Amino acid sequence: MTRRVAVTGIGVVAPGGTGAAAFWDLLAGGRTATRGITLFDPAGLRSRIAAECDFDPLAHGLDPELRDHADRYIQFAAVAAEEAVSDSGLDTGQEDPWRIGVSLGSAVGGTTRLEHDYVLVSEGGQRWDVDHRAAEPQLHLAFSPSTLASVVAEQFGAKGPVQTVSTGCTSGLDAVGYAFHTVAEGRADVCMAGASDSPISPITMACFDAIKATSPNNDDPEHASRPFDAHRNGFVMGEGAAVLVLEEYEHARARGAHVYCEIGGYATYGNAYHMTGLTGEGLEMARAIDTTLDQARLDPTLIDYVNAHGSGTRQNDRHETAAVKRSLGAHAYDTPMSSIKSMVGHSLGAIGAIEVVACVLAITHQVVPPTANYETPDPECDLDYVPRTARPRKLRNVLSVGSGFGGFQSAVLLTGPGGRTR
Amino acid sequence: MSTQRPGRAAVTGIGVIAPNATRVDAYWKSLREGLGVLDRITREGCDHLPLRVAGEVRDFDAAALIEERFLVQTDRFSHFAMAAAALALDDAGLGSGDPADPYSIGVVTAAGSGGGEFGQRELQKLWGQGSKFVGPYQSIAWFYAASTGQISIRGGFKGPCGVVASDEAGGLDAVAHAARAVGRGTGAVVVGAAEAPLAPYSMVCQLGYPDLSTVEEPDRAYRPFTRAACGFVPAEGGAMLVVEDEAQARDRGTAVRAVVAGHAATFTGASRWEQSREGLARAIRGALDEAGCAPEEIDVVFADALGVPEADRAEALAIADALGAHGTRVPVTAPKTGIGRAYCGAPLLDIAAAVLAMEHGQVPPTPNVFDICHDLDLVMSRARPAELRTALVLSRGLMGSNAALVLRRGGDCAR
Amino acid sequence: MITTEVTLDELATLMKKAAGITVDPKELKQAADTPFASFGLDSLGLLGIVGELENRYSRPLPPDAERCKTPREFLDLVNNTLKAGA
Repeated sequence: MTRRVAVTGIGVVAPGGTGAAAFWDLLAGGRTATRGITLFDPAGLRSRIAAECDFDPLAHGLDPELRDHADRYIQFAAVAAEEAVSDSGLDTGQEDPWRIGVSLGSAVGGTTRLEHDYVLVSEGGQRWDVDHRAAEPQLHLAFSPSTLASVVAEQFGAKGPVQTVSTGCTSGLDAVGYAFHTVAEGRADVCMAGASDSPISPITMACFDAIKATSPNNDDPEHASRPFDAHRNGFVMGEGAAVLVLEEYEHARARGAHVYCEIGGYATYGNAYHMTGLTGEGLEMARAIDTTLDQARLDPTLIDYVNAHGSGTRQNDRHETAAVKRSLGAHAYDTPMSSIKSMVGHSLGAIGAIEVVACVLAITHQVVPPTANYETPDPECDLDYVPRTARPRKLRNVLSVGSGFGGFQSAVLLTGPGGRTR
Repeated sequence: MSTQRPGRAAVTGIGVIAPNATRVDAYWKSLREGLGVLDRITREGCDHLPLRVAGEVRDFDAAALIEERFLVQTDRFSHFAMAAAALALDDAGLGSGDPADPYSIGVVTAAGSGGGEFGQRELQKLWGQGSKFVGPYQSIAWFYAASTGQISIRGGFKGPCGVVASDEAGGLDAVAHAARAVGRGTGAVVVGAAEAPLAPYSMVCQLGYPDLSTVEEPDRAYRPFTRAACGFVPAEGGAMLVVEDEAQARDRGTAVRAVVAGHAATFTGASRWEQSREGLARAIRGALDEAGCAPEEIDVVFADALGVPEADRAEALAIADALGAHGTRVPVTAPKTGIGRAYCGAPLLDIAAAVLAMEHGQVPPTPNVFDICHDLDLVMSRARPAELRTALVLSRGLMGSNAALVLRRGGDCAR
Repeated sequence: MITTEVTLDELATLMKKAAGITVDPKELKQAADTPFASFGLDSLGLLGIVGELENRYSRPLPPDAERCKTPREFLDLVNNTLKAGA
């Protein structure tokens, strides 16, 4: 059974603004939300910059229980989900709860809380035989990665398939992909899909320091995230969440819902190469793109925009450029490809979902968001990266691609009005 | 893909790393004899914690099974998963590496606790010595995706790769995920879960679960379905399977050990055990539907058996709700009372047990459980011979998931 | 201050500790111009060795250290840096 899957609601918590409107404003304006870290004292770290969310749980009317006890990444997800469901106009109380699913991704889950409590129980890293009496009572909720999907399911009374996806930095794309399968194959009629991460903590910053993956441009944080630019030197950590309401197409039409676009296809492969390394050829990502296009029976020349992983590491940008050229052929040179990580940083597992929401907004506004800070071309990256300024364009079929530690290579196809549907 | 006939998902390989055995034959022998191996926790730095009893994997020689360059960059949970995957691949006759078509084999794992021991060591370096002492492998060892990535790299598997980071029921979801990937055209998926939650800080994190048993006598700590039920005992380890397109398996001349016939999952909220009755019953009905299986065809049930009185009652009632009168007659078992609950690994160990039970025509018993207070035919004390063609495996998670999986015996599935 | 030189023996020990690569120091001496990759040492492993040395000598190594392709190239760079800073 394969059914059409519509996007009927979106919600986002991103650096630079909470809510889809503020998020789009940032992207369309080509502004960056990267800055010196304020969430903790980053002294001693190699990379001391990040794209942080100015997030006030009180202002977003969070449930007091969540406001007082939930981890930051859970709060992000709850707020993004509330916006998405409200945007969709879905009255969850009127729906069959057993037909509503949840599929949310996170790369590092409750790490920030886990680290916080670790410091308490270990007397600041002094003892292996940690003292349980110093731990907070809610610590098990940070330990269990499924807390994320569980909390959002409870928020809307969803009783269908509920899962948390954790495929490193493709978690967000894969969570959308799993939700797409769940609805397309008939296991639910509605599925909340998205991802959340709040990884700006000492241990996560330090672990990327250790492999020199993050940018050390501490003196110029606003211009530090430079995907595809010859002077890039690593990614800038981010945080945030995005949630989409995916809905069986006829179900959406029957209730007169606004359909933003449809999910046209999804595929993921492993590169079986290296946990953090990428090849210069991009074969596996190209394969993910090809499979996704096959599912929609879409000719590659009909792709109007590629939302890149574009993390701003040299190996990623080369890998991805090669992959897109391999899949789209000569059409790659006519296809704008931009990275919003230049503006909102790289929020690990969350970013894939945030990027899918960016694609939905791009289709809605018929505008391609730019790659901020792109100034100096790199001969190894010779596509049209939409430098600095957003660009109006007819957008029907849009691809979002991602790579993750562990070798994951994923692609999601969105088809807007006038685009090809299955 | 659309031109292909959807493949049925066969289990062609099983690898087990469990508290009672690190080989499948030894695992079955221990289950059949109803041996309980729950014991005092001996992992370093744990003996002062108010959780004393668990299922520890003790005779695991990682260095004998996995190359050292993989060992240094991974946590114990990935050691278990890589070792179990290698055993499963060998069992399926796919152990030589270098697959002819690398995209024809994918990897899916479920993970509920991640690389806690490795993570604690690096946290200690960061907070005790400074950020420059955090090593390069922290970025790839602690996170939930570590095992899938490493298994994919070690075997050269480029097919669909995924990770369900979940509560216990995620173990069944991962197997369903793999079976669906096979249904969409992937030749085989290495799938399963293994956990290593018995490191000091990971244990501190688990102490908040209200359902955890802290009873100090190993044979009294985990006794589901009895009046003495006092929660569950955690464990480490798990199992990996090779789930493969049935036609491909037969073409290769590989034995089809079982077929993954149906699955369904629902959600009824964390610690709302009473409501899990309806959730689990619906999951069972959904799995039976997908399998095209009547309730009377179920020959054995591998219960979730949480060991919390309300949860046990809900499960007994769910079985009755979904299977009708057959629910009180069908043999039910919970071999995990002898080895503990390895989070996402637990339902994988139950799937392995179910396949072995069907192959041997015996229902393994439920160790340490003698006198139950629910209307179930729970197999106790000794294994019970029975013709087993179809097995139902149940799982519920501490965060509120319910899942059911229907397995058919391999030999019965030739069509 | 006594200048300490990192030897091939020590490099072999570091390869074992940081990357799980077992290599006979004698063999490493004979193959000092053989790429690290053929010993099975990857970029993360070399980063681990660099970090270990930086912490041991409480001094940063140049960014080129983790890009060295062979044991000889690496030791030359490391030892020149340590000498220069002594």
